[in-house]
Amino acid sequence: MWVKPWNMKEGFLIGGGLLFTGVLLQVVLGPIDWDLLAWPVNLVLLVLLLVAVGTLYALRRKAYAVGWMMHAGAAVPCLVYAASLTILMGLLPQVCVGGIPWLSQMLRFWPFVLIWTWMMLISALTALNHLLRWKVREIPFLLNHLGVVVAIVAATLGNADIQRLQLTAFTGEPEWRAADETGMVHEPGLAIELHKFTLEEYDDGTPRRFASDITVYTEDGQNVRGTVEVNKPLKVNGWKIYQYGYDVRYGAESPYSVFQLVRDPWIAWVYLGIFMMIAGALCLMLFMAPKPVKS
Amino acid sequence: MSWDSFFWYALSAVLLWAAGAFFAWKEKKMGAYFCTLAGIAVFFAFILGMWISLERPPLRTMGETRLWYSFFLPVAGIIVYSRWRYKWILSFSTLLSFVFICVNLFKPEIHTKSLMPALQSPWFAPHVIVYMFSYALLGAATVMAVYMLIRKEKTTEREVNLTDNLVYVGLAFLTFGMLFGALWAKEAWGTYWAWDPKETWAAATWLCYLVYVHLRKAKPAEWRAACVLLLVCFVCLQICWWGINYLPSAQGLSIHTYNVK
Repeated sequence: MWVKPWNMKEGFLIGGGLLFTGVLLQVVLGPIDWDLLAWPVNLVLLVLLLVAVGTLYALRRKAYAVGWMMHAGAAVPCLVYAASLTILMGLLPQVCVGGIPWLSQMLRFWPFVLIWTWMMLISALTALNHLLRWKVREIPFLLNHLGVVVAIVAATLGNADIQRLQLTAFTGEPEWRAADETGMVHEPGLAIELHKFTLEEYDDGTPRRFASDITVYTEDGQNVRGTVEVNKPLKVNGWKIYQYGYDVRYGAESPYSVFQLVRDPWIAWVYLGIFMMIAGALCLMLFMAPKPVKS
Repeated sequence: MSWDSFFWYALSAVLLWAAGAFFAWKEKKMGAYFCTLAGIAVFFAFILGMWISLERPPLRTMGETRLWYSFFLPVAGIIVYSRWRYKWILSFSTLLSFVFICVNLFKPEIHTKSLMPALQSPWFAPHVIVYMFSYALLGAATVMAVYMLIRKEKTTEREVNLTDNLVYVGLAFLTFGMLFGALWAKEAWGTYWAWDPKETWAAATWLCYLVYVHLRKAKPAEWRAACVLLLVCFVCLQICWWGINYLPSAQGLSIHTYNVK
């Protein structure tokens, strides 16, 4: 062990070290509070991450470990830890409070987050390496590794910036106040007027379609008329408006309709990562394994 | 078209597939192709008929997804056969497909016309079909792994290579399924990833297959370890697909349950 060239054993030890560090952090700091990452903290973290990746990459010839991180031998142990913790998360009930200490709030568990961060670091270094040593036939490899980093980093850092509000609009009365999860009232900068709520049912009484015919008035003077239904949100001024609920006591005669308003400033980056991954998977499918593997 | 006529379509398809498998054993290529493709066409005719009479794609209930799985197994089988000429692969795909057809015959689930608004989306069909195709390919890779583990020293480079390729293509489709799901979820629920139990297991399964891909690169000679890993991967896949319905941790929490109660 620790004899060059390093392979998987060293990776398992480093991962073990991360788990141990994570447990210490969990004991000292308690579970991770993701809300602390809200703008501009997430921007600072992003810059730190980019600087870290750049610095590590510059040191790749001096520091043996950095060169090793860009090999599959480093990826395997990291993925094994990530998969194991994710399986554990799937086996144990995940609840907001209570449950099994630490493990029932896996997303706030330091070892879980450290392992995923390690995975992103490895993947980012590998992607950077392939980006700088550009070769056309390595494009699929680059798309897969860069795509996963862009999607997961943007999703994780951007999570605290997502605004999710509920707005209840009664027929014919423009409503501009919306409540967040804690019940606090916000003004999202637009008003929704409900013209008509529609509920259609199948013969057996199960719902077929919920839809709300609305006009959205924005602060900058736009009037947007449209229909919002499940799977068909309306996009106005950076907000996505979703059909969320209605007064179930009245059914089709519901006097109001409930909308969910979602704003996610980082979404474009998440989509970029997702599309890179789709393109990468497409290449994987079309070109398969190029060379036979020794048995 | 209704489930009442399923027996006859399934019977004709299975007989055709069995004939194709027989021709493959006898190394009669044309017969193998013709019969297998004819069986696939018959089975697809039933799926299309269901689609038309239900006025929605038959993809909602577990029984309906099994229908696609039974369909994709021979499809994956004939693709592998056309490229690698394994004479046993069509027998395997026919047998496995037959098992799933039997499950649908003996444990029919309620299949109503209704499709709840959350599922009415252009993403619905691609999301599920891509997943079912991926499951079929990864199922084939699992059988290869078992086959190689049993034959030990007799394993050839070609077999290892085939297994790798099955996993690569299966993983590509698994990735499509997962990402299409994310894009759809954003349109339907406003969140692309919520760590719902089904999503957690989808992520776990995806990571396990990524371990396989990287392990094959890191230690190409250790194909036996990779074969054992494929078995673990497949268990995760089954939990993600249906096992989750029996997991205590997922009870009442998953928004991915659409069977009519």
